[in-house]
Amino acid sequence: MAKILLEVSNLLKSYGAIKATQDLNLKIKKGHIHALIGPNGAGKTTLVNQLTGDIFPDSGRIFYKSQEITRLKDYQRARLGIARSFQITHIFSNLTVAENMALAINARSGHNFHFWRNSLKSKSVRQNLDHSLARVDLEHRAGLKASHLSHGEKRQLEVGMALVGNPELLILDEPMAGMGSGGTVELSKLIASLKGSVTILLVEHDMDVVFSLADMVTVLVYGQNIFTDSPDKVRKNKEVQTAYLGESTDA
Amino acid sequence: MNPLFRKYFCITVVAIILAILPIAASALGQEYYISLFSRVLIYAIAAVSLDLLLGFSGMISLGHAAFVGIGAYVVGIFFYHSAEMEPLFIHPFVVQGSENGLIVIPLAVLVSAIFALIIGTLSLRTKGMHFIMITLAFAQMIYYFFVSLEKYGGNDGLSLYSRSTLPGLDLGNDLQFYYLCLVLLALFLFFATRLVNSRFGIVVRGGSNNERRINALGINSYFYKLVCFVIAGAGAGLAGALLANQTEYVSPGLMHWTLSGELMVMVLLGGLGTLFGPVLGAAVFLLLEEFLAMYTEHWMLYLGPFLIFVVIFAKRGLYGVLVGGEKSNG
Repeated sequence: MAKILLEVSNLLKSYGAIKATQDLNLKIKKGHIHALIGPNGAGKTTLVNQLTGDIFPDSGRIFYKSQEITRLKDYQRARLGIARSFQITHIFSNLTVAENMALAINARSGHNFHFWRNSLKSKSVRQNLDHSLARVDLEHRAGLKASHLSHGEKRQLEVGMALVGNPELLILDEPMAGMGSGGTVELSKLIASLKGSVTILLVEHDMDVVFSLADMVTVLVYGQNIFTDSPDKVRKNKEVQTAYLGESTDA
Repeated sequence: MNPLFRKYFCITVVAIILAILPIAASALGQEYYISLFSRVLIYAIAAVSLDLLLGFSGMISLGHAAFVGIGAYVVGIFFYHSAEMEPLFIHPFVVQGSENGLIVIPLAVLVSAIFALIIGTLSLRTKGMHFIMITLAFAQMIYYFFVSLEKYGGNDGLSLYSRSTLPGLDLGNDLQFYYLCLVLLALFLFFATRLVNSRFGIVVRGGSNNERRINALGINSYFYKLVCFVIAGAGAGLAGALLANQTEYVSPGLMHWTLSGELMVMVLLGGLGTLFGPVLGAAVFLLLEEFLAMYTEHWMLYLGPFLIFVVIFAKRGLYGVLVGGEKSNG
């Protein structure tokens, strides 16, 4: 049995009367692509934000590589190897594509209190910039300001930045959101190519993508993990069908 | 025209004008312009340092004048003790006053930086509107502290009988003083340009755009913003030290929030986030103040609409009008 990379136990988070996360348990195995699905408002992003340290749970614990990280801050978790992309594109639109990537590269190589040399000329950037951009097909856009990229390219940049420094756990929060079908195929290919080398928690609405990529699927409803199993079993499960997939189970 | 060429062309023209201005002024017997433009250069240093906060790191500080004032008072207080031949303090070690520019000017920069570190450490725990208000509050606290400091003149301020001394230079000579300011402005601009394009610079610029993403990359943005705040405070301290020398007078007015506001206007007028823009902004602001004030004491009435016009129609201020094209960080 594969090693558990991330374990969540009895997680609870409420906003007033609304329980966004209820007594949630989850195990993510190393090397898996673990999909997280659920209807709108099921608490997917709330859960992701608790895993990355953007917000803190009311109770419950989170373990990463058997180490408790429940109270670690976002930047501390990032240093442990948990990288994320955001549901709403979070790139630095005032910087160029190359500078965006350089920031991600520099973040992985010590401190950034270098005041003099151009950011694109440091050793680690020169060594890693080209292939980091090539990995997400953006090498021809390097000098362009990130705000001028197309929507799909912004998502590619965002995933590319999360991949820099070879994180062990990559959390992708709806990477396909708002993308055309061409972009979806491109990004699916990219995610598939990462399979095995990095553990991925994939929050995604597009069922085709989920069922073709995932090793495990967790169904979240009202902040609860109602079912976790292989994609095949999830597709066939009655409870999941009524709760989430609804009538049209041909997805 | 190639935008990059246009940019360097404009910068070169401005640099040449500033370099020959005092010679031309002397030749035409208008020495008065030398001291007016010395003031422009000094305010430009302060405005560029503020642009590091407003234009590059997204920290809207309304207390920047405090660091100008502190820099000026360091020069003023050391001069006072030197003139009175009375040590500044005796415990735990004796510190004498000084008129030596090699001591007091770096010291002014250092003390401003230390104050920026203290104020920044506390202020940067807040964001947005709260940050604006807390920087304003700190600056006003320092302002009232100096108002009540009777030993150093209180509200009336301190007069210096002469400018600081520097080996090989006579700062009492307006021409030499002007060129000192010009060289320091050029050095500061060069440093600031390198800074915003450095590793540190992209962290700070990225953080102003999206702080959460910076933290998600594993960078604690707080310390980067703090260091940027300290660098900007040090730049303002340098401007303050020069200003004390230029006017041979320091007063709490240098710390008043209205000066912070004027510096902010210079940055906006010249072009937010452009570094060279605030130099233009400082020049236009002070020249308009000077010449409009000759005709009317209500000169602000004319400056106001002009500022509104520039801010609405020129997105990157006067710098944008001259250089045009995409924002390229100085």
